[in-house]
This record gives sequence, C-alpha cells and structure tokens, in this order.
Amino acid sequence: MNTSKPPTMDLQNLNPSSLKSRFATRFLRALTKINAQKPISPSSPTEIFQRYRRIKVAADKSMAYSVRSRRTWSRATLWRLRTRSPRSRLATLARRSSVKTRTTTVVDKTSHGKENKEERGAGLGVEEEELRELVPGGEAMDLCNLLDETAHYIKCLTTQVQVMRTIANLYSLD
Amino acid sequence: MESNAGTKETRSNLTASDGGEVTAFESLQFTDEIHRLILAPTTDNSSSFTALLELPPPQAVELLHSPDSPKLIAASPPNVEDFQGSFRFPSNSGLIERDARFSLFSGEANNSNEKRNSPESKNVSANPEKNVKSEPAETESSQPLVSDPTVEKRSIKRKDRENKVKGSTKKSKTVANENSEDAEKLPYVHVRARRGQATDSHSLAERARREKINARMKLLQELVPGCNKISGTALVLDEIINHVQSLQRQVEFLSMRLAAVNPRIDFNLDSVFTSESGSLMDSNFPSLVMPAIWPEVQGNGHRQQYQHQWHLDTLQQPVWGREEVCNNYITPENSLLTYDSSANSATLQANHLKMEL
Repeated sequence: MNTSKPPTMDLQNLNPSSLKSRFATRFLRALTKINAQKPISPSSPTEIFQRYRRIKVAADKSMAYSVRSRRTWSRATLWRLRTRSPRSRLATLARRSSVKTRTTTVVDKTSHGKENKEERGAGLGVEEEELRELVPGGEAMDLCNLLDETAHYIKCLTTQVQVMRTIANLYSLD
Repeated sequence: MESNAGTKETRSNLTASDGGEVTAFESLQFTDEIHRLILAPTTDNSSSFTALLELPPPQAVELLHSPDSPKLIAASPPNVEDFQGSFRFPSNSGLIERDARFSLFSGEANNSNEKRNSPESKNVSANPEKNVKSEPAETESSQPLVSDPTVEKRSIKRKDRENKVKGSTKKSKTVANENSEDAEKLPYVHVRARRGQATDSHSLAERARREKINARMKLLQELVPGCNKISGTALVLDEIINHVQSLQRQVEFLSMRLAAVNPRIDFNLDSVFTSESGSLMDSNFPSLVMPAIWPEVQGNGHRQQYQHQWHLDTLQQPVWGREEVCNNYITPENSLLTYDSSANSATLQANHLKMEL
C-alpha cells in the first residue's frame, strides 16, 4: 500500500499527507461548493436526488484525486467521471491513444474485454467477472493485478465511508 | 537431438521427488550450504563435455529409476553455483518470484554451465552410480547429505535451477549450451520436478502465477473482516465481492444522507487545515462545549431519525467517541448559549471534525 493513514481516530492532529486527510479536505471543499450553489432547503425529492448525485460524484472524484494516478482504479474512475455518456465514442478513442496501460491489448470495455478474459487463462469463474465489474478499471487486468487493485480499493472505500459518516454525523448534529 | 528427446521423456515420466513444499526453516540451512558450495572450487575442463554427452539414455534411465534418496542428493549442489550471488531461497513466494527473474541469470547460467559440468562429467565417465555419490564429495568437501529435508530443499532448488536453465535454453540458441544443459540434467532429472507435476516451463510459470495469486488472496482475506475462517478461493472471493458491494452502497447511503441534511453552517476549511490549527484548537477549547448543548437547545428531531436509520454497520467509533466527549462537557454553561456567530461556529465544527478524524 502506498498511502498511510492514522490508525486510530483520537484527539490527535491529522497527518496532513495521509489518505484520510487528503480525501477529507477535498471532499469538504466540494461539499461546501455544492451547498453554496443551491438554496439550502430542498424539500422536493428531485432536488434532494440531484444533490445526492452531485455529492456522490464529488465523493468518488475526491477520493480518486487523493490517490492520483497511482492506481488503475483511480485512473479509471477519473476517466469515467470526466467523460460521461454524451461523448462516449470520442472519449474511447481519446483514451486509447493517450492512456498507457500495462496490458498489451487496448482497453475497450465492451468487446475486447471478453477477449482479454479468455486470454488470461483459467480464471476463477463467475466471481472473478463480478469483481472485475465492481472494481473500476478491472476489466483489463490479469487476476494478480486485479487482486492488488481490489485490496487498495477496499482500503480507500473504507476511508471514504469513515470520513463521510463523520461529516454526516456532524451535519446532523445541529 | 536424440539425447534431448530421451532426457525430456525421462524427465517427464519421473516425478520422483520427496513431495512436500519448501518450508521456511529449510531456507536457513540452505543458504549456508549454498555459501559453502559457492566457495567450492570449480575446475575448468571443457573437454569433459563430450564425455557427458555420450552418457547413453539407458544409463540415465537407470539412474532415474533408482529412487534411493541419498543418491538423489548429488543432484543439486553443483548446480547451485550457478546462482552465484542470489541466495535468497527461501519461501515459496521467493521461489516463485524467481521465475520472473531467471532471465537475469541466463547469462550467468550459460557461462557457468561449462564449469559446472566438468566436475560431473568426470564422475559420469566412471560408474554412474558412484558418480552420483561422489559428486557431493567433490563439490562439497565436508557436508553430510543424507537427510531427507536436504533432499527436499535441493529438489526445490533444482526446480529453480531448472527454471534458470530453461530460461537459458530459451535465450541461448547455441548448441553447446543446450548440450551442456541436457547433459547436466541427465543425472539429476529425478529430483527436478515435484511429485505429480509436469515440468515444462509453461506449467512452472503457471504454478508461479497461481502462488502469486494465492498470496494476494491471503492479503485480501486479512483486509476483509470475517474472511479468515473461510477456506476455498470461490467463497473468499464471494466475501470480498460482498464487502466491496456493501462499501459502495454505504457510500451511496451516506451521500444521500448528506444531501438530505441541511447544513446550517459552512465549514471554514482554511482554519481547519492550516498550520495554525494547533493554536486554534487551544483557543477554541471552551467553545467545544457547544455541540453538546445545541441538541438540547434546538431540539433537533432529524438527528434521532437519521441515527436510527443509518446505523448500518460496525464502523461506529466516531459516533461513540464523540458522544463520550460530549457527555463530559454537558455541564450547564448557560453563558455560552448566547454564542452564535457563524464564523465561530464554523471553526467550532471544523475543529470538531478534525477531532473526529
């Protein structure tokens, strides 16, 4: 694992370079921006839903930014967030030309992904496919790297959940 | 090459190994032996190659079919010299990583093949059975070799050696090298492979890959709570998948919660995460009492509701921690109730958040 975070949640000052603090800073900034944009009394479900979407995107984005491009899943998340559906074809082409991946084949999530899977030899069946779908960017990796990415992804998700829960508790305390 | 074909066949047929896998303790004894072997003098006698080459397959077969372990011991020690500098033998994962690196040693292997073969060849020309026993005497001056663990170790070493040799076969096309490798393998084939496993390079690579995957799975098992007791890759993967899914769902729930809750205060982030945060904490310490009092004053119904709804799983330490702190401070300090400037409350909340995190 390439990042560190304080092991306990006690009354210490944060390690400013830990994953947790990096994520918390970014996410709080994004959150305040979102709150500042809209009037703060969304009673209708649609407004709440919109805010929910924005907040979720902000959370994923800030976590991926905290990890930078060190990990395949963070790169995939950032790419996914940047190029969402309207520009899908152009985006795929752009990605193919610019992104250097470790795999030898080009990453096209729809058609080539299956070829990759078959080439990888005897995998572990259905679970492996599911894992690939869950972990962003997992389609183009061999099982070994996929397990690595999964471990890091789980660690980051846990941090994300912790920070978000703390913030939500604080907010709801008023 | 008929001799090549012959040796390959015999090699694949024989899987006489001592079974079992290398355990950590063997590695310790191993490195000592390796050092000793390295220090053993090597003779340079290229003319004895051909003698080795002429060892007919039937003799090799005879050697192979003699399953006595003491004889097998002869196998690896001379070959160890090829390693010349990397003595990290040890755990399975170390062995496995070696697969990836054998290309580095192909050059060395090529160079030292000749040297190494010469001591063997001398013995080979003599009685083949004695050959096997006398080699140790030649290359290892004072080592007792008869125990089975050493044979096991050696067999694993042989596997590595084999990897390197195979690496060099792949890389170097020179006939001399190939001949020397085949010739050198002749007396030792029977310890090369593990019992019941194929010895071609593909399956070795496959095995190495599988070991890597198993190592990663173990790490994942430690990460995911409750996975330690489960055995079997598929079930563990199922658990991992469930865990990832639940984490993703939690993120969604929490963002929904954040969207629904109205923040009355904007966080003043600059004050939280700057270097002066230490002093801020000190100066705002009395104001930390406020959060405990606000729920009473403002009678927030939301809080109860959300806390009941969203207490989903075990990561509840932040909530408990904060409640403890608050309880310590719920001494009625009514003078502070007048305090409501947003700037101060922002820093207050920010410091609170900092404490939590």
